[in-house]
Amino acid sequence: MENTPGPVWVIAEQIDGRILTVSLQLIGQARKLAYELGASVEVVLLGDELDEHPQQLFAAGADRVYLGSDPRLAFYQPELYTEIIVKLAQERQPEMVLIGSTDVGRELAPLVAARLETGLTAHCIDLALGENGILEQIVPAYGGLISIICPEKRPQMATVARGVFPTPELDESRAGEVILLDVPDELPRRVQTLEIVREEPEGVPLESAPIVVAGGAGVGDLEGWRQIAELAKVLNGALGCTRPAVDEGWAGMETMIGQSGKMVSPELYIGVGLSGEQQHMVGIVGAKVMVAINNDPHAPIFEQVDYGIIDDCREFVPVLIDKIREYQAM
Amino acid sequence: MLDIVVCVKAVPDPKEADKIRIDPVTKTLTRADVPLVLNPLDKHAMEAALQLKERFDAHIAVLSMGPPEAGKIVRECLALGADQGVLLCDRAFAGADAYATAYTLAKGIEKIGPYDVVFCGMASSDGSTEWVGPELATFLGVPVVTRVKEMVEFGEGWWKVKASLEDGYRLVRVKLPAVLTVTRELNTPRTLSFSGIIKARKKEIREWGVSDLGVPSDLVGLKGSPTIVSSMTTRESKREVEIIGGTREEKAERLVQRLVEAGVI
Amino acid sequence: MIDFTFTEEQELFRQAAREFAETKVAPKVPEMEETGEVNDDVVKALAEAEMMAITIPKEYGGLGLGYVARLIALEEIARVSVATAMTLQIFALGIEPIIRFGTEEQKKKYLPGLATGERLATVAVTEPTGGSDPKSGRTSYKKDGDNYIINGRKCFITNSHIADTITVLARDEEEPDVFSTFIVEKGMEGFRPGHKEHKVGMRGCNTGELIFENCRVPRANLLGPEGKGMRVAMTAISEVGRGGMVGCALGLQAACLEASVKFANERILYGKPISKLQTIQNKLAEMKIDLEAGRLLGYRAAALQDQGLRASNEFAVAKYFTTEAAHKAAKMAVDIHGGYGCMEEYAVSRYWRDAAVLGPSAGTSDIMKVIIARWVLS
Repeated sequence: MENTPGPVWVIAEQIDGRILTVSLQLIGQARKLAYELGASVEVVLLGDELDEHPQQLFAAGADRVYLGSDPRLAFYQPELYTEIIVKLAQERQPEMVLIGSTDVGRELAPLVAARLETGLTAHCIDLALGENGILEQIVPAYGGLISIICPEKRPQMATVARGVFPTPELDESRAGEVILLDVPDELPRRVQTLEIVREEPEGVPLESAPIVVAGGAGVGDLEGWRQIAELAKVLNGALGCTRPAVDEGWAGMETMIGQSGKMVSPELYIGVGLSGEQQHMVGIVGAKVMVAINNDPHAPIFEQVDYGIIDDCREFVPVLIDKIREYQAM
Repeated sequence: MLDIVVCVKAVPDPKEADKIRIDPVTKTLTRADVPLVLNPLDKHAMEAALQLKERFDAHIAVLSMGPPEAGKIVRECLALGADQGVLLCDRAFAGADAYATAYTLAKGIEKIGPYDVVFCGMASSDGSTEWVGPELATFLGVPVVTRVKEMVEFGEGWWKVKASLEDGYRLVRVKLPAVLTVTRELNTPRTLSFSGIIKARKKEIREWGVSDLGVPSDLVGLKGSPTIVSSMTTRESKREVEIIGGTREEKAERLVQRLVEAGVI
Repeated sequence: MIDFTFTEEQELFRQAAREFAETKVAPKVPEMEETGEVNDDVVKALAEAEMMAITIPKEYGGLGLGYVARLIALEEIARVSVATAMTLQIFALGIEPIIRFGTEEQKKKYLPGLATGERLATVAVTEPTGGSDPKSGRTSYKKDGDNYIINGRKCFITNSHIADTITVLARDEEEPDVFSTFIVEKGMEGFRPGHKEHKVGMRGCNTGELIFENCRVPRANLLGPEGKGMRVAMTAISEVGRGGMVGCALGLQAACLEASVKFANERILYGKPISKLQTIQNKLAEMKIDLEAGRLLGYRAAALQDQGLRASNEFAVAKYFTTEAAHKAAKMAVDIHGGYGCMEEYAVSRYWRDAAVLGPSAGTSDIMKVIIARWVLS
């Protein structure tokens, strides 16, 4: 007799009552993994005033939702969230737990993993079932890909960034079971979130932009950066960057595309003055057309794009901007 | 007086680290002589400790798990102003994932003695998981705040800090003892001074192995790691590049044409 | 057996010096190139980084680190700015006679301030009548009661306008072959800096003329025994002066090699980086050979100095070799850069000009050979 595998879990996240896209994407992927495993998909959602929210999670593919909806959970509270999730996991014994690689996720996941004495993988760009139903967690490293597994400990845990997996079609006809969670009364309150302050991001958000222009070290200086910002603007696209550009101070960390930054899935990606280093390139998922502008014909990026321009970006970009404007005027 | 522990890691110099690659034929890592340096974010962790020492008077212990060569970054931290150094060095510690690393560091901290705060860089430049800080805190049984970008208030046995969010911050009140992981925004690390290097001569670096920590060797290193790397491959690109030729004007025109044809602009 | 490796501590010194050079000196290089003037912020930064204290003994407020440490610091600073390395090396040159020949009172009076950078030093030997021939100097002194009166002009003096503690070599007015050295301080009656030189290279290092017109110097400022001035001055120059030039040259050699490697890897000709071409590789190999050899010569001499042994001959060999090698390296670097090598935006054009000023400082290459021949024939 075969043991039914434990459920595939997604720890979903909401901000101000809005369920994050990454959570829905992970539910979509969890659905696929669960199907292969013969398991169910269960989602944990914590916050306040969330009574209407499970429906969206069912529509994305959840079979069961554990809902913790309470004023005490309104903000992410590390100890409270961890305690609730850990107790539930010890009870329900999930086979695997997927968490969005968000600010909260990247603190909560290791807290949960350490309590459950299990493994946790970061920066996954793919999840697949390998031999014996073990989860292969694919991570970019050293110019290639490594597959990480958690052979013995359970659950197998992974964090995944938004944009790695597609957003599933919502099937409003789906339904599932809601289990309400209790908030523990007595808890050590050694760390408390007092307040959350968020600024409105400027411009087109990278993750959803159909056109992305990204600049790297080869852009040279602020004047060069201004030029590529102009290019992004004329195309109505978002401007992203690589780590060297952040180090130079031309752009902020929040616009960094790559392994430790944002994932983008544009229709058109234009990489300017960047060599195509893997840490950046893994941030581009499923772009329809990719273009590179770089001075160095041996830059690795020229093997990863559809169209390459070998030229000094400082000289070429202004000419390209003019040609685009000409076309737009037609 | 504050008792501070700073956890630091020796990493391949980020400026040269991309020389370490997966060989497409053997599917193993190519050997490259990349020197080890102090993990850049750990400099900010050290700076946080040093600023507290200047403000409140503190004893700073710096702790690292690594190969013998990692001793030089512990010495560097002593030269910056830490008071004592501990290097956790043993073949048994090798191959550790974040979990086993955090466990080993926790044992090291417990052996060093009572502390008020543990500082770590938010992530290392290699690996870069961000897991060690929170897992370390769990093994120590203390709270953690990750991605601290500003210290706001120092109370009696508690601190208020800003934890960085992508588009803002969380204001957090945390009771000591605690683990804090830090971002670049927190401070500007000081550079080495000759005097500091001279003073470091008298400071002690202790080396502890698995038996000094008194832990079973199957809880550390590769054996103690719940995750392992099962395989490595190189990525193949599925695109065939067309290098657009001609004069600069021609290249720009042709590119625009291609993009229009593809329907992306 | 000889151990050719640096200690862990020496590696830390190197790292500290490199961090200093890259964060505090490099940003000022464009300004120094433009004005040619020594930069006050740089001098202040050198003091804060305890660079002037390296060779001063601990009991007088210094770090007492010795001459290998000094060479490491100079090499790292010169890699970023030869002008700044030169400024620093001459501070040490001016400090050395006081350490070696100063009375206890003189050491207590001057060394602490020199260690903190409150006082800045130099040595004044060269005159229009000759630097290679120091005995031809006409600057003279005579006794006047409890003072000495100095008259004359010194030229091509590094740190001329910023130094306030200057070891001056002068001849006895009555006895032409008798020389003495005196510590002249800024503000002393009859002493002033004169003409400022505008050098084609090492821009950012102050070079100029010192004028003594009935400069009245108290007896207490006689440095070393009366009549032994030549020995005082030449001891300092032959070891610390030459050693400092080695530091400047090694740093410049390293900079030339680094810039050449970077450019050769990026510059595409005939469809590939020029670093694949044998003619370029030859040049890189030569630069590397000279750098390896120069380092060994320099650090060997400095190590002798740290042991308290005479190293003036070894420094003559090292000074000759490295300053000539720096010249060659700069030319090769410019050649590798092609047309770009002549453009101001490219650092190698500056390296070429800096190399030109290395030779005549602290003894020309020809004089080095005279000294080395003397060594061989003795």
